[in-house]
Amino acid sequence: MLTIDAKNVDFYYSEFHALKNISLEVEKNKVVALIGPSGCGKSTFLRLLNRMNDLIPGTRMTGSVLFEGEDIYAPNVHVDELRKKVGMVFQKPNPFPKTIFENVAYGLRVNGIKDETFIEQRVVESIKSAALWDEVKDKMKKSAFALSGGQQQRLCIARALAISPKVVLMDEPASALDPISTAKIEELIYELKKDYTIIIVTHNMQQASRVSDKTAYFYLGEMIEFDETTKIFTNPKEHSTQNYVTGRFG
Amino acid sequence: MRHLEQELVSLRQDVIDMWRLVISQVSNAGEAILSFDKDLAAKVSLREKKVDAYELKIDGFCENIIALYQPVAIDLRFVLAVFKINSNLERIADFANGISHILVNNPSVILDAEVILDTRLQVMINQVNKMLAQGLEAFENEKSNFAAAIFSEDSQVDEINEKSVQVIADYIQKNPDRAYECLELIGIFRKLERIGDHCANIAEEIFFYIDAKVLKHSPKDKK
Repeated sequence: MLTIDAKNVDFYYSEFHALKNISLEVEKNKVVALIGPSGCGKSTFLRLLNRMNDLIPGTRMTGSVLFEGEDIYAPNVHVDELRKKVGMVFQKPNPFPKTIFENVAYGLRVNGIKDETFIEQRVVESIKSAALWDEVKDKMKKSAFALSGGQQQRLCIARALAISPKVVLMDEPASALDPISTAKIEELIYELKKDYTIIIVTHNMQQASRVSDKTAYFYLGEMIEFDETTKIFTNPKEHSTQNYVTGRFG
Repeated sequence: MRHLEQELVSLRQDVIDMWRLVISQVSNAGEAILSFDKDLAAKVSLREKKVDAYELKIDGFCENIIALYQPVAIDLRFVLAVFKINSNLERIADFANGISHILVNNPSVILDAEVILDTRLQVMINQVNKMLAQGLEAFENEKSNFAAAIFSEDSQVDEINEKSVQVIADYIQKNPDRAYECLELIGIFRKLERIGDHCANIAEEIFFYIDAKVLKHSPKDKK
C-alpha cells in the first residue's frame, strides 16, 4: 500500500490557484524531494500532507490525499491523530524553551503518556535516531537553547520521531545550517528512511540529488515531472526540468 | 551567461580545436603514406605533442568543472562525453603518428601502387577521415543524427581491413622480397581500423550526450 497517495489535488489561497491538479504517490521507506523555484507550490503541497494549511483562513482544497489508504481530509479524521503519524520538521530549528529531555518528551506527555520509564526510553531512542546522543547525553537537563543550530535541528527531528510517526515531512531542514550540520542532517535522512517515509522540500538541488530516491519538480503550481532522482538529474523528460536543475532558469 | 555555461563553452571550443587538429593529423598521415611524403610524415610526428597537450588540458578542464560546479542532466552528460571523446581523439592521433612513423623510421619503405589499389588503402583513409569529420559536425551542431552513419562506416572499414589481409598475403607470395614493406602495410591497416573503432566510440558518446542513449555494447541499428 502507498504511504501517501495524492490524487488530483487543487489548492487555493482565496482566489490564488496555488496547486493545479497534483497527483503524487509516495512509497513506504522512500525519500521524496520536492524542488522548484520560490512560489511554485512545493511547501504548500508538503503542508497539505499533515493538514498544516487548515490553519490558514481563506484556503480550500479539492482532490484527495490518502495516507495508507485513508483520506486524511475525511470529516471523521482528527488532525491531532494525523499529525502523530505524519510529523514535521521546519526550516528554522524551533526547540521549546525547555530542557533537551523535555523537548523530546513533550509529544509523549501531551499524548497522555505518564510512564516515566517508557518516556525516558523513548527519548533516548529518538535522540539516538537523530544522531545527537553522543553530543547531548551528558546535558539532558540543560536548556535546548544551549545547543548549536545544527544540534537544535536534530533535536527537533528527535522530537518529531519520539511519537513514532510513519512519515516525516521536512521543509528545508538544512537551509539555516552550516555545511557540517547540513551533512549530518543528510546522513540522518539516509539512516531514517529505513524506518520512516520522508518528504523533503529543498532549494538545494545537490541536497535533493544526494538524499532522495525520487524527485518532484514543481513550477507555477503544477508538478512538471516526478521520477527517480537519478533520472531527474541525468536525463529529465521535460525541458523545463532540465532548465531548472542545470540552473539555466529560476 | 552563467559562469558554468561560460566554462562549458570554453571546454566545447577546446574539444573542437583538438578535433580539427586530429582530423588534420589523420589526413596528413594518410596523404604522407599514399604519396611517400616523408616531410609531411615528420610534421605529423612533430604535432603529436600538441594533441597530447590538448588531452591534458581538456582532462583538467573536465575535472575542474565536475569538482567546482557539479553539473547535472545535459551538462553532466556533456562533460562525461567530452572526457571520453578526448581520450578517443588522443588515441586516434597516436595511430596517425604511428602511421607517420612507418615512413619516418623506414626511409626505404616504398609501397607498390598495385597493392595499394587492390587493398583499397585510399578508400579506407578517406573513410576514416569522413567519419572523423562527421563526428565533429554532429558534436558542433548537437545533432546526433549526423553521427549515425559512423557505425555502418566503421563496419565498412572493418571489412576493408579484413579483405586486405588476403590481398597482402597473395602479394607476398608473388613478391617475397617485399615482405617487410607488406608487414608494415598490415600495420597501417590495423591502425586505420582502430581509428575507425575510436570514431564509433566517439559517435556513441555523442548519442549519450545529446539523446541520453547508451549505445555501447548494443546493436547500433537500435539507435
